[in-house]
Amino acid sequence: MANIVSGFLVPHDPIMFVAPDAPEKNIADKAWGAYETCAARLADLDVDTVIIIGNDHYMLFGTTCLPQYCIATGDVDGPLDQLPGLKRQSIPNNEELATFIAAHGHANGFDWAVARSFTTDHSFSIPFQKIVQRASELKGKEIQAIPVYLASAVDPYLSMERSQQLGLAISRAVNAFEGNNKVAVIGSGGISHWVGTKESGKVNEVFDRKVIEYCLSLNEAAIMSLSDEQILAEGGNGAMELRNFVCTMASVQADTSELIEYQPVPEWVTGLGFIELKKN
Amino acid sequence: MKRDVIERVLWSLSIDRFSKVKFKENPNKFLMRFALEDADIEKILSFDVKALQEMGVNPMLTMGYWVEMSPDKSMRTYNQKLGSDGVHSASIKG
Repeated sequence: MANIVSGFLVPHDPIMFVAPDAPEKNIADKAWGAYETCAARLADLDVDTVIIIGNDHYMLFGTTCLPQYCIATGDVDGPLDQLPGLKRQSIPNNEELATFIAAHGHANGFDWAVARSFTTDHSFSIPFQKIVQRASELKGKEIQAIPVYLASAVDPYLSMERSQQLGLAISRAVNAFEGNNKVAVIGSGGISHWVGTKESGKVNEVFDRKVIEYCLSLNEAAIMSLSDEQILAEGGNGAMELRNFVCTMASVQADTSELIEYQPVPEWVTGLGFIELKKN
Repeated sequence: MKRDVIERVLWSLSIDRFSKVKFKENPNKFLMRFALEDADIEKILSFDVKALQEMGVNPMLTMGYWVEMSPDKSMRTYNQKLGSDGVHSASIKG
C-alpha cells in the first residue's frame, strides 16, 4: 500500500527570482534557507513521489476551459513562465500513480480533469525545483512529482469544502494504490499577497500569523471558515490559494506540525510561510 | 458577457504569440475579430487597466497584458494607472 508520509506548505513567489536582492540580505537568506530546509527534510523522509498542489495564474488554462481541479497524468514540463534561476525543463511525473488517483476519483465522485501532457507554471515549478529536485540531489535518487492544480486564482474558485474533500480523496486513492510508494504532498501558495491589484506589495502580517496558527494547530476548519470576501479583504486575491493549503492538510492528515520560517516581505509582495506537516 | 470576451482578448495578448504579433501590427484590426463594443476597444487600446478591473476582469490578466503589450511595461506606471498610492510598492525598482 502506498502511503502519504508528510507534507509541506510553502510559497511560490516569482518576485524572489526576479528581484532577489530587493529585501535585506538576512531576510532573503531566511526565505531561501527555508526552501533548503524543506529539501533536506524531504530527502530525509526518503519519499519517491511528491504531489504538488498549486494553481494556475490565468496563463495555463485560458478562457475556453477553466477546470476546478486538474491532475497531470502524462508528460510534464515547465514552467511556462521561466524566471531567472527557474528554467523550463522536463519533469519526472509518476504517471502510474497520477493515473490511478484520477481513475480512483472518477470511480468515487471526483470528476478530475486530466492533462495527458502538461506544462506547469511557477506554482508547481518553484517548490519542485527548490525542494523536490534539491532533495533528489541531496538523496542521490530521483523523486517524481505529480502536478495537481486547483482553481484558486481564477474564478469560479473551487470551494473550500471541495478542496478539503479532494485532499481526502487523494489520500484514499494513494492508500488504495498497489505499490510501496512513500509520498509527500506540498501545498504551494500564499500567504497574504495582492496580485496585479493596486494594493500589490501590501503584506498583512496579522492575517498571515492567524493562518499560520490555523495550520500549526492542524485546524483546516478554521481556514475553511474564512469567507472569500474576508480572504480577499485581509489577504488579497493571492491568498485565495489557501485552498491549496486546505487540500494538502486534508490529504496529509498530519499528527503534528512545525513552522520552519515566516517572513513578511513587502519587497517580494508576499507573506512567506513555510510549514512542515508531520506524521507519527 | 462583456467581461468574458475582454478576458479572452487579454489572455490571448498575454500568452499567444500570434495574437501578440497581430496586435502589434494593427491593434484595431486585431480587436475587430472579437465582439467588443467601441468603449471596450478604447479601454484595451489605452491600457486602461483600472477600468478593465472595475469591469471584473481578473487582475492577473490586466497585469499580464500590460507586461507583454504596453509601450511602457513599467509596473510603477501600471500601479499608477490603477490609482495606487505607492505605499505598497517596495519591490518596484523601475
